[in-house]
Amino acid sequence: MNNETWERDYSRRTAFGLLARLIAPYKGLAAATLLLLCCDIVGMLLVPTELSALLNSVTSGAGMGAVWRHGATMLVASLLGSLGCIASYRCAANLAAKVGRDLRTSVYEHSLALSTADFNRFGAGSMITRTLSDANVVQQTLLMCFTMMGPAPVTCVVAVVIAFGIDPVMGRVLLCVTLVVLLISALAVKKSAPIFLVMQGFIDRMNVRLRESITGVRVIRAFGKEGYEQRHMEETFEDYAARAIRVNLLFAVTDSMTFFLMNAVESLIFWVGMDRVGAHAMQIGSITAVIEFAMLIMFFMMMAQFALLQIPRALACLSRASEVLSTEPSIADPAAGAIAGSADGEKVAAGADLSGARADVVARFDHVSFRFDDADEDTLHDLDFVLRRGQTTAVIGSTGSGKSTIAKLLLRFLDVTAGSLEFGGEDVRGLAQAELRSRIAYVPQKAWLFSGTVASNLRDADPDADDERLWHAVDVAQGAFVHELEDGLEARVAQGGTNFSGGQRQRLSIARALVRRADLYVFDDSFSALDYKTDAALRHALKDELADAAVLIIAQRVSTIRDADQILVLDEGRVAGLGTHDELLRVCPTYRDIYESQMKGGN
Amino acid sequence: MAATETEEKKSDALIDDENEVPTDGLATARRLWDSAGRERWRLVVAVVSAVFYVAASLAAPAYSAGLVDLLWSNIQAAEAAGETYVVTLDNGGMQILTFLGIWTLAWAFYAIQSLVMASFAERLNLGLRARIAEKVGRLPLSYYDAHQPGDTISRATNDLDKVSEVLQRGLLQIIISALMFVGAVGVMLSYSPVLGGVFLVFAAASLGLTKLVAGKTIRVAARRQEALGVVTRKVEEAYSGRTVIKAFGRDGASVVDVRAAADELAKTSADADFITNAISPAIRLLVRLAQVSCGLIAGAMLLAGQLTVGVFQSFFQFVTTATEPLTQLSMTVNMLQGALAAAERVYALLDAEEVVPDPEGPAALPDPVRGRVVFEHVAFGYAPGKRLMSDVNLVAEPGQKVAVVGATGAGKTTLINLLMRFYEVDGGRIALDGVDTRDLTRADLRRQFGMVLQDAWLFEGTIAENIAYGKPGATREEVEAAARAAHVDFFVRTLPRGYDTVLGNDAENVSQGQRQLLTIARAMLCDPAILILDEATSSVDTRTEQAIVRAMEAIMENRTSFVIAHRLSTVVDADLILVMDHGDIIEQGTHAELLAAGGAYAELYRSQFA
Repeated sequence: MNNETWERDYSRRTAFGLLARLIAPYKGLAAATLLLLCCDIVGMLLVPTELSALLNSVTSGAGMGAVWRHGATMLVASLLGSLGCIASYRCAANLAAKVGRDLRTSVYEHSLALSTADFNRFGAGSMITRTLSDANVVQQTLLMCFTMMGPAPVTCVVAVVIAFGIDPVMGRVLLCVTLVVLLISALAVKKSAPIFLVMQGFIDRMNVRLRESITGVRVIRAFGKEGYEQRHMEETFEDYAARAIRVNLLFAVTDSMTFFLMNAVESLIFWVGMDRVGAHAMQIGSITAVIEFAMLIMFFMMMAQFALLQIPRALACLSRASEVLSTEPSIADPAAGAIAGSADGEKVAAGADLSGARADVVARFDHVSFRFDDADEDTLHDLDFVLRRGQTTAVIGSTGSGKSTIAKLLLRFLDVTAGSLEFGGEDVRGLAQAELRSRIAYVPQKAWLFSGTVASNLRDADPDADDERLWHAVDVAQGAFVHELEDGLEARVAQGGTNFSGGQRQRLSIARALVRRADLYVFDDSFSALDYKTDAALRHALKDELADAAVLIIAQRVSTIRDADQILVLDEGRVAGLGTHDELLRVCPTYRDIYESQMKGGN
Repeated sequence: MAATETEEKKSDALIDDENEVPTDGLATARRLWDSAGRERWRLVVAVVSAVFYVAASLAAPAYSAGLVDLLWSNIQAAEAAGETYVVTLDNGGMQILTFLGIWTLAWAFYAIQSLVMASFAERLNLGLRARIAEKVGRLPLSYYDAHQPGDTISRATNDLDKVSEVLQRGLLQIIISALMFVGAVGVMLSYSPVLGGVFLVFAAASLGLTKLVAGKTIRVAARRQEALGVVTRKVEEAYSGRTVIKAFGRDGASVVDVRAAADELAKTSADADFITNAISPAIRLLVRLAQVSCGLIAGAMLLAGQLTVGVFQSFFQFVTTATEPLTQLSMTVNMLQGALAAAERVYALLDAEEVVPDPEGPAALPDPVRGRVVFEHVAFGYAPGKRLMSDVNLVAEPGQKVAVVGATGAGKTTLINLLMRFYEVDGGRIALDGVDTRDLTRADLRRQFGMVLQDAWLFEGTIAENIAYGKPGATREEVEAAARAAHVDFFVRTLPRGYDTVLGNDAENVSQGQRQLLTIARAMLCDPAILILDEATSSVDTRTEQAIVRAMEAIMENRTSFVIAHRLSTVVDADLILVMDHGDIIEQGTHAELLAAGGAYAELYRSQFA
């Protein structure tokens, strides 16, 4: 078995496994759906059977009484069938919706357990797809399985059984028809299913190409590459069209083959049926019933075929979801005790206990190195320094020198690959993530706000904070503009905070961190969108506010950090200097470079 | 689906609104017919075949009435003669074969129709898509300013797919369904006006039911749509703000939130799915009731000798023939309308105004290009009637570094947009080495510039391919040299696959600053005559910026460059500083001159370095 087939089989197995787990809680509902489906089909097949019985009773000389009797059974069968069908659709819709919901929520929940590195391996875009539209495909396909695929096998079996009851020869004819149709359907599905998956890839390519050509329109025109991009797009369009036409042809061929088969079968049943009628083996009306059975079998087979073609796509969606679900978080809480609800800020019993730790040293980097999987070079190499209570530590360095990685290590979004990082005297790997993070107030580089109100965003840091504390944090963060908002703290915030300017977002994000009482405050490049005056005022206000905690400021501007108690200079992931502003100016050429690049012309 | 398309996924997750109505369906249909071009014969052949197919399909069950009667009388005759009836060619078999013949004819027409149409829609679409591909390169930038990328993409993909789906099945389906229904009902009425009438009553009832449910379907679908929107928004927001959620331990609260939204979606979508699916069994119930009623009446008529056995079974075949189109018609009419509305959007894109074509006999630039740029009384506005620039004049001498400063919206980028002819001036002229830029082909003009923008655009491909975008034949050594000059070489080497790392649209391992550096490397590799840096280093730290500027200065010696920057430290050594405000240049000169003048520049400078 080559690698590819192995992988395919494997992902198929995991997909089915996931599906089984998703349906398991709703076994009762699934059983009810199937049972009602059987009602539907029995009713559906009884109608033509009774109609032909009616004809038979008339031709064999029975009177109007028999007609009424058969009419009544037909009525009952109709009601039984249709109502059963409607009820089964209700159950199927509920079942599919619940499975879709569970898939969505479980992927989402698991995504939160993943580390930043795990999550980024999928990427936000792909994770959105996996959580939303993949679950949608699974839900719709599951529904199709019940409404379109389910009836096929039941119809075949019941119809053949009834036909055998009418006349064994007719039964055999119908059995043969069923087998032939099954064969054709299987062939068609086998041939077209892979093309369908490939088609999806071509659709994606069209989207990617178009998007690039539009978002990059300036660059494309600046480089004079319009023709190149056009050819590229045309190629993907042509590839898609060629595949689509092939699929259509395949469908047209199977479609007309089935059509021909229907006609041939009808004539065959006439021929054989009349023989049997002549031989007194059956009555003439039953011919109509058998023909009707054959038509229904073929109809449901075609429906099933259509639904079957959707299955590979749904399986792909399922196996992508299970890829997420089966990803073991690369950063996990210590094993001691089950950490069930590591969420919601509740104190977690497991791991080392930090409460009461009021030590002078808040965090210690002990020869810490960090390297991404498969990378050739360390992102951070041999960092050795200490964050103390009441002290401000600053990190400065070039873009990509690894500054933000330091913050990520502290919050355990990433784990050190060499050395160790201690928080409150404990190795962070021995702490529950929720516990560690509850000790840190973090201002991320990208000032992200959630849709809601200013207050709801600030309370993310501490749900119990009263308005007074929120206002205090806002004021320290130089957020005077909040006072001017009509609704103050209750002012509406759009997704991402886009209804505020970059500087305002940054100040709100800082205020959010200040609402939390923490041992360590981390500002990851949080002052860049502020003008110089606000920057200075903010730093002044922070000094008093955070006198009792350790502060880590990651910055690009020397003016932001020149007063720090210690400054760590990073250059390509290595420590280029550690000391105060004045010391570094004397001994650290990298720092001097940075300083001069910013003071140029400023004298 | 590939993991790269965030926005498409959003729209993909939504359920399409099938209830759109085109503004002028007939005109759009005519344009589609024109666009079909050489493929038109396919449609003609298909329609003709469809008509024959319907005729044969109606003839077959009609013929079967006589066939059954014949066979039945043969059987009864045989019985009367005390023989066992056996079908032979002379004894009914010929008629059965004729019956098969009629069906085969129907099949042949059906097959012709579907084979001919298999490629019709996709070829039509391909033609339209090729026109879109061409159009994308010809639309003025103002079009893209006014339209979201997702909007244009969806016209080229989703909208055309809707068109092809309907052309593939829907169009002929409507013709076939309508003919089939009318024909079947006609035959039924001719068999027995009473039976046919009873059937018509039920047919009308099922049409009424469809209409009734359709209204409900729209309402339920809208509710589902809304719930889906909420889940989508919540999940997207949570994934974008993941770091914040985790840093502040809001995991649990966020799960509760998402779960509640997913619950609501499950409820509404169960309802929506149920209603859409339940309509067909409901109609089937009506059809069965019709069958029961007709069965009772027909039974009585049979007893009274008003009906033959053959007509009886044939009539019920026509019941099936007539009801199938009934359910399909209402659905396909909606689809057809939706497709025409989609086609209208496609044509609106294709009809959008294009950029002014290049001159017939373009002027030539001197070789080598010296790089003297002159703006003379340039006036411009993005929207007609809303003037941004009224009278811009400037001269950039060859080899000069020209810096442009000013607040957001002051018109700095507009200056570059006009220079590159991304937009056309409304008045005045721009000249490069004395040649009006409108007399040049755009390609010729733009070839002289290397441009780096704040919004670092990279395409899905390897880092090496992205750097070599402007110079496809570049060797790996050249690529790496450019990367080193742009100070991004170290970073690239820390990536898992180095220069062969594939950048996706949501490549989160590449920060904005690093993306900017990659685009700088790309521009450097091209070795252009004039360099434009539009906030090109806004996300890069100052030290790296200085190093890059130094590296560039070495390359750009004696070449003109335009630099837009908000950090004044990078512009103080410019040969010419342009201070812009509300679209116009309010001050120009060197750093020292402008400081001495004590105007807007001096004010700005003090605010940054005080």
